[in-house]
Amino acid sequence: MIHQFDTVIVGSGGAGLYAALEASERSKTAVLSKLYPIRSHTGAAQGGISAALGNVEEDKAEWHAFDTVKGGDYLVDQAAAKILTEEAIQAVYDLENRGLPFNRTPEGKIDQRRFGGHTRNFGEGPVRRACYAADRTGHMILQTLYQQCIKNEVAFFDEFQVVDLIMTDTTCNGVVAVELATGELHLFAAKAVLFATGGFGRMFKITSNAYANTGDGPAVCARKGIPLMDMEFFQFHPTGIMGLGILISEAVRGEGGILRNRDGHRFMEDYSPTLLDLAPRDIVARSMLTEVRAGKGIRGDRKIDDYLHLDATHLGKETLTTKLPDISSFCQTYLGIDPADSPIPVLPTAHYAMGGIPTDVHGRVICDGQGTIVNGLYAAGECACVSVHGANRLGTNSLLDLVVFGRRAGIHIGDYVKQIDMPQVSAADAADAQSWMARLTDGSPGPHGGRISEEMQTLMMEKVGIYRTASEMAAAVDALQALRERYQTVRVQDSGKQFNTDLLEVIELGNLLDLSLITAASALNRQESRGAHSREDFPERDDDRWLKHTLAQLAGDIVRLSDKPVDTSIWEPKPRTY
Amino acid sequence: MKNIDITLKVWRQDGPRDRGRFETYEARNISTDMSFLEMLDVVNEELTLKGEAPIAFDHDCREGICGMCGAVVNGRPHGPERGTTLCQLHMRHFRSGDTIAIEPFRAMAFKVIKDLAVDRSPLDNLIAAGGYISVNTGGAQDANALPVPQENANLAMDAAQCIGCGACVAACPNASAMLFVGAKVSHLALLPQGRPEAAQRAINMVKCMDELGFGNCTNETECEVECPKEISITNIARLNREYLKASLLSPFK
Ligand SMILES: Cc1cc2nc3c(=O)[nH]c(=O)nc-3n(C[C@H](O)[C@H](O)[C@H](O)COP(=O)(O)OP(=O)(O)OC[C@H]3O[C@@H](n4cnc5c(N)ncnc54)[C@H](O)[C@@H]3O)c2cc1C
Ligand code: FES
Repeated sequence: MIHQFDTVIVGSGGAGLYAALEASERSKTAVLSKLYPIRSHTGAAQGGISAALGNVEEDKAEWHAFDTVKGGDYLVDQAAAKILTEEAIQAVYDLENRGLPFNRTPEGKIDQRRFGGHTRNFGEGPVRRACYAADRTGHMILQTLYQQCIKNEVAFFDEFQVVDLIMTDTTCNGVVAVELATGELHLFAAKAVLFATGGFGRMFKITSNAYANTGDGPAVCARKGIPLMDMEFFQFHPTGIMGLGILISEAVRGEGGILRNRDGHRFMEDYSPTLLDLAPRDIVARSMLTEVRAGKGIRGDRKIDDYLHLDATHLGKETLTTKLPDISSFCQTYLGIDPADSPIPVLPTAHYAMGGIPTDVHGRVICDGQGTIVNGLYAAGECACVSVHGANRLGTNSLLDLVVFGRRAGIHIGDYVKQIDMPQVSAADAADAQSWMARLTDGSPGPHGGRISEEMQTLMMEKVGIYRTASEMAAAVDALQALRERYQTVRVQDSGKQFNTDLLEVIELGNLLDLSLITAASALNRQESRGAHSREDFPERDDDRWLKHTLAQLAGDIVRLSDKPVDTSIWEPKPRTY
Repeated sequence: MKNIDITLKVWRQDGPRDRGRFETYEARNISTDMSFLEMLDVVNEELTLKGEAPIAFDHDCREGICGMCGAVVNGRPHGPERGTTLCQLHMRHFRSGDTIAIEPFRAMAFKVIKDLAVDRSPLDNLIAAGGYISVNTGGAQDANALPVPQENANLAMDAAQCIGCGACVAACPNASAMLFVGAKVSHLALLPQGRPEAAQRAINMVKCMDELGFGNCTNETECEVECPKEISITNIARLNREYLKASLLSPFK
């Protein structure tokens, strides 16, 4: 079946819906999503969205921009960070005008709270910058944007999974998608396509990301020869619940929670004597892993899945039930423990992809180090890399990224589609996708994808995780290439066409394998430590050689690496100390 | 940690137009640390190895946020625990030897897609009938110029907690979506930017609810008991007030 729209948005999280909202003001717009829109992962975001409103104390967009650049260990494009933080203010007002129930100050203004890495006056001290709706900020953003898209009569294709792009040379003409309910392939001809497919934490064994976060957008682009940017930078959040990876918010440490090793020792004293448990995420996560490796984890077996204790018992029932009610109920639900009586078993969990599809500040996808544009192709949100997060993202800056750059892309698309004609697509454009799916379901005996997935996730966690060395990563690259070969023999057991979730999972596995390979190869290439990328064999940041973005292009089973300059036009890179 | 053996009676249905039936499966050696969905994963893995079709069920975040999961477990939407989604239900709440019946959310307005997966898109249609604010934010006014008392903000927030899972509909003997609609109408009516359209919104959404085949509210209060976000039925009362005001005063009848 062939459909025609001016604009096709792939993904209905915060980024996709904001873009759809703007694009639909001026063009016939469809949103394709493998999940129901309000189920997208944006709904999981708790902490808040940052904007220098200055409602509770003095604040400036310029300070926010500086924090973003420094937090990203200077790999942030500074003009983009300036746009992000200046447009943040209007973005929050727009959301509120559309009905988002933000928390309020006693005078009725939008309330703001503190979050790691956000400071006043270029690092003098913490500032209240995060606007929030209890611990449901992402959920509220999704609901609000969804309601607005429905109002604008956006056409929603729910449970449609995009598997391929239709391209001629450097122009995008549409996408190919599988409909989950029927198993049929659909072609969508479009003047403009925007990818907003979210993160890909599912590359790793322990992750805070949902099952659907499999990086489909970046993987589809990579297979079309579009290089991915800064893929070696993946953020690990220090406190995931042991075994599950589900997030325990920073707020527990904010209220005085303490990380302890098997001897009950507050080990952060040894790594960050001043900031202790509230040091930046990358630093805490590294310290935790060092403890585990030294046999100081709670089990003490030095294995990658050993854990530590987050001790909140001294805070008392009172504080826990009034200030952290959700955390208490999380612990009851998942662990059957009361954090007032016993410590919470935690370990770092793969959380956020800083890298992704390279774009300019209008969301247009670029395909080389000179900034050449792919006509009609856009990306926004976690799957894109503008780059405003550089080597390490600050908390609350992701939701902001979604609304600011989702909106900018939507506006640009509105202009762009007015200038060009509807491209022609034909059934032949689905041939690649068709033969891929035919192979997976041809009924010949083959292994189940599950084993390969397990191996990939363990490999990435152990060898391309928090600490990295050349030999381990080289081994990972080899092993991933072998897994990609084995993947060619995988077959889907469930041969039914309707609601065949097995088939879609195997397709997602293919995407994750491609992204894992690109990540491992990019990480092996970068011989320095910066932000979330920490190498034991190159422990220092090296601006002379590496103050540049990585571009990694997939070519068969090898990855071609090149680079792209970083915009440092405002602030000169300095050592990152807190 | 310990392991238990349980018997499952699971509703299997190939498609919306097919007849469904209960099938019995034995789940052995299930760790009480597992979640209910992980237990189903284990059962599915065994079914797949035997060459049988796995049980279709919806899920995504598995942390009670996305509203994707949901089934009726021993007669109760999302199972026996209060204020939890199915993905948050743990096997430690069951004992070895238990028999557990698992069925899809049943309502006239929700079609069964396959096994435990149902089509909840009618809830989206309800939103389309008016669950939004139609301001033009072109030259948006500074939101601080619309002060909102924290108390109203809190009530609006509680109403806006809804994750659209549909448990309220499944719990209601009349399969009414009144709690869902009540929550949407309350959330928006409590905020100044949502006030101007409150009347029309209430009327349109209730009308749409009837058209979609949801039943009427007869104050059974089962919805509040089963809502995983514990949304209060006072939101239905607020909806009724808006509706009444609207039908008395509004030009839109
Ligand atoms: C537990 C948790 C807490 C967080 N808290 C915060 C916070 O407090 N503040 C903050 O700023 N950030 C936070 N983040 C990060 C932030 O939530 C995410 O980065 C952000 O929501 C991603 O939004 P998105 O729009 O890019 O993608 P998503 O919301 O993930 O949406 C992706 C969309 O793409 C669709 N899709 C994917 N693949 C396909 C395909 N092949 N075909 C069709 N559709 C597809 C999906 O259906 C979905 O609709 C948190 C993240 C986690 C995991
Ligand atoms: S799977 Fe998301 S709420 Fe249960």
